[in-house]
Amino acid sequence: MTARKVTRRFVAKTAAASSALVAAPFVRGAFAAGKLSIGFWDHWVPGANKAVEAASKAWAEKEKVDLSIDFITSQGNKLIITAAAESQAKSGHDILAFGSWDPARYSDQLVPVDDIMAPLIKANGEASAITQYLGKIGGKWLGVPGTPGAQFKGPCSRIDLLKEHAGIDIQALYPAGGPPKADSWTLDAFLKAAGACHKAGVPFAIGLGTTADSVDTCGAIFQSFGAAVVNAKGEITVKSDKVKQALEYWKQLVAFLPPDAPSYDDATNNRAFVAGKTALIMNPPSAWAVARRDQPKIAEQTWHHGMAAGPAGRYGPFTTPFWGIWNFSKNQPAAKSLLTALSQAPAIEEMVKASAGYDIPAFANLTTMKVWAEEGPPKGTLYHYPNPFNHQILSIAAAPAPHKIAVQIYRHGLETQMVVRYAIRGEPMDRVLGWAASELEGYMRT
Amino acid sequence: MADATITTSPGAPTRPRYGSMSRDRRWALRWSYFFLTLFAIFFLTPPIYMFVTSLKSSAEISAEINPWWVFDPTLSNYIGLLTDNVFLTFFLNSALISVCVVTITMMISVVAAFALARMKFWGSATLATGVFLTYLIPETLLFIPLFKMFAWVNDTFGIQLMNHWWTMIILYPTLTVPFCTWIMIGYFASIPKELDEAALIDGATWFQTLTKIFIPVALPGLIAATIFAFTVSWAQFLYPLAFTTSTKELVLPVGIITTLIKGDVFNWGQIMAGALLGAAPPLIIYAFLMDYYIAGLTAGATKG
Amino acid sequence: MADTALRVSAASSADKRSGLQKLMQRKSTIAFLMTLPLIVLIFTLVAYPAGYALYLAMLNKAMTKFVWFKNFDFLFSRDTFWMVVWQSCLFAISAVVFKAFIGFVVAHLVNNIPGKKQRKWRGMLLVPWVIPAAMSTLSWLWLFDSSYSAFNWLLEPLGIGPIPWLGETGWARFCVILVNVWIGAPFFMIMYLAALKSVPEQLHEAAEIDGASWWQRIWYINLPMMRNIIAITALFSTILTFANFDIVRVLTRGDPLNTTHLFATWAFRLGIESGDIPLGAAVSLFMVPILAVGATIILRDINKRGSEV
Repeated sequence: MTARKVTRRFVAKTAAASSALVAAPFVRGAFAAGKLSIGFWDHWVPGANKAVEAASKAWAEKEKVDLSIDFITSQGNKLIITAAAESQAKSGHDILAFGSWDPARYSDQLVPVDDIMAPLIKANGEASAITQYLGKIGGKWLGVPGTPGAQFKGPCSRIDLLKEHAGIDIQALYPAGGPPKADSWTLDAFLKAAGACHKAGVPFAIGLGTTADSVDTCGAIFQSFGAAVVNAKGEITVKSDKVKQALEYWKQLVAFLPPDAPSYDDATNNRAFVAGKTALIMNPPSAWAVARRDQPKIAEQTWHHGMAAGPAGRYGPFTTPFWGIWNFSKNQPAAKSLLTALSQAPAIEEMVKASAGYDIPAFANLTTMKVWAEEGPPKGTLYHYPNPFNHQILSIAAAPAPHKIAVQIYRHGLETQMVVRYAIRGEPMDRVLGWAASELEGYMRT
Repeated sequence: MADATITTSPGAPTRPRYGSMSRDRRWALRWSYFFLTLFAIFFLTPPIYMFVTSLKSSAEISAEINPWWVFDPTLSNYIGLLTDNVFLTFFLNSALISVCVVTITMMISVVAAFALARMKFWGSATLATGVFLTYLIPETLLFIPLFKMFAWVNDTFGIQLMNHWWTMIILYPTLTVPFCTWIMIGYFASIPKELDEAALIDGATWFQTLTKIFIPVALPGLIAATIFAFTVSWAQFLYPLAFTTSTKELVLPVGIITTLIKGDVFNWGQIMAGALLGAAPPLIIYAFLMDYYIAGLTAGATKG
Repeated sequence: MADTALRVSAASSADKRSGLQKLMQRKSTIAFLMTLPLIVLIFTLVAYPAGYALYLAMLNKAMTKFVWFKNFDFLFSRDTFWMVVWQSCLFAISAVVFKAFIGFVVAHLVNNIPGKKQRKWRGMLLVPWVIPAAMSTLSWLWLFDSSYSAFNWLLEPLGIGPIPWLGETGWARFCVILVNVWIGAPFFMIMYLAALKSVPEQLHEAAEIDGASWWQRIWYINLPMMRNIIAITALFSTILTFANFDIVRVLTRGDPLNTTHLFATWAFRLGIESGDIPLGAAVSLFMVPILAVGATIILRDINKRGSEV
């Protein structure tokens, strides 16, 4: 109930601020009857595209802009290909949804958006640290954090199975409507639970492939041990005790994971969950949303909660898209105006609602909306999903390495590969670290 | 080359009648059926599984029951697709592209094959071999340079080639023309020289020789090439994936994969239904034109 | 291939018929014009972009400086690159060998079947080649899925499995090759069947009368007669298999541990996913000269045999 009160207040406040905002910097009519094209990320949650589409259309109507909207899937790397294509062809959409690493990658082709980010931050609260790392390149915002698709890939657990096999009452650790009481939820407890569930035939379905879900989980656990393969200065730090510690932990954990973990993609874990074959996956609520449609009994036993803490802290994997404006766009003022309109608190709340709570706004004041408290069944399953109490540090694998190196660590799944080599292939530690160091030297290429 | 002359020589005796077959042959036939059945199982398992899955609801697909059987068949996946404008758009785009590509391919390759097979000129032998070598350069290598070229076209002529389905009509022939030209060279080469020589003496132009004599005689070869071009352009994946993004510009394979798969939420029933519907046009074409295909390939192939 | 036909036709027509002489003089111009669309198409959409790709492959990562062959230098120093080379060869060669073998066997079996029934079998066996590959590969992915694998469901009562189809290097490579063979074998079948039909029946009958066994007939009659087409089909397929992208992309994305990456998927990961376009182009280009040498040898062999006859 407290959450609800808080939310209302925030919404009221931000709504007031936003109406003032829209009126201020952009004079309506200045770009009337112009053309604008935008490529949004095609949302995984059915029906979630509608909110962003409606908000854009309302804006276009008001500003008399001829707006064309495409929804582009990230499946099969379509969105990555589109960005590469448009960057090379120097034509395409005016605004495109970029992946987490793309503002850095296309830094010389994106229009800085500090002028619209400053008022947005003022109205909606500070952008999370991880969003700043990814979107603010060289001190300049190169994209507006796009709400649709911003996700926390923390644990998505089965209440019944954890209770039965591991003796963990996850709802008590992460109670709906209240702050987490999760001091006992450490990586050791996580490991023990994984062992118990493995024994019971419902192993944690955590992948070790090279796609985002696997890489994100692996990165979070590395960070929980303070293990970085490359530090913020760009020095290779893979041969450190912390990395070794993280690998040793993984070696224990891997014994309890499914045998095909090395080939997991971002859908394998979801399917295992919907099939009822696992007690825990690391995933945003899309698996639960599918279960709600197809296997309601499994959905009712689902709880989304925070990540387990390691010796160096509690790190939760987070990824976020950005809406960026290409520098070849011929209608940049209109593009900025649209992005401002889409980032107002009420618009963002509509998007979060339409995504059934999947999307997490990047701004500090917007993580306690009532959607997350109300979505269910079971009611409150998403309450802790947006990290409302800043209980954990949101991060992304390979951070805080310099972006051009980090993106390669991420896309090649360097850390998951290290784990597979050490824990599954049984290669000696020195060889694994040596291999990783040699790969990293390759990533330094300019 | 010897075999081809024999093929065209008249009066080759036909296969002896089935009834007079020796015991040996009867056994061979039985074994043939046995092994063919094994191969058929291998070849048809995925399509059958696709069909089975396409008749299931999402709930049944995700349930832990016999995956090979449909307990509660439903046509909702097919109905959903066929009443969806988006899917019909994909279908239409694919059909239009394929028809145009086949037409362009045949125009280019038949004329070129005729010239290469019958009219010797400087470099013709190299060209005939070189055509085949274009396949050495994979699409994965070409699409980034093509982005750059399209950017140049856009800057110079103001024609936007990105994100339009008709751009595929320009691109696909690079994949179809070489093989079709090669088939046609082979087929034309198997046509007796006396035919065109006679026509030329009678005062026919080269072009008339091609249209009046070669094309009618080489019809099986033409059909084989047409079918090949159609299959390739219907199934192409990488170019449309790289060059089109808007929903209304997508072709069938890309459309199904990008709109029905939502990241980690696979719509398996609809994907399978879509794949089967997508396979239907080429299947129908093969069913009707298979004999021509084989006959057409025969000459082209053996002459190659 | 074609040039033999040309030589023969040119020679025979030139010597006797003087009335043709004038026509012959204009012939090469007309012929050139007739092949012009083909030349323009290949030059603008294949040769020129390929040249451009070569240029791209010689730029630095930021694409601002021309660095000659440094990218190749860098590639040759990477273990993963050599692994990809080896895997591509393993993939292409074993897939083509199996495709050719299965195609050869099935073509013979189908050819044994009389008339009408033959058409049905032919039609059925051609299905994999007809379904767009990107989609049929998805159905394989679904058959291999770790939670829902329909294969594992069948094997479970036999006490086998669950097999991590795509999770272990050995199995994953097997699956990728299997799917490629599945898609490609029908094409071989149809090409070989076409070739078989052109083997004159009387040769077989004569051999049978001479007491040649079934095996001997295949070895001494069919194989030599089909030699050209076997070579051409194998060449065509090898080229396409080397450059394969869809299957690995859909099934494994190179996992586990990059042990299923091929040139195309590895190039994609480097160039498109990780933002190193020149390096990606260099990987893609690397396979071209290897294949070109192989292709030239095979095509030459075919041409030579053609002119001997």
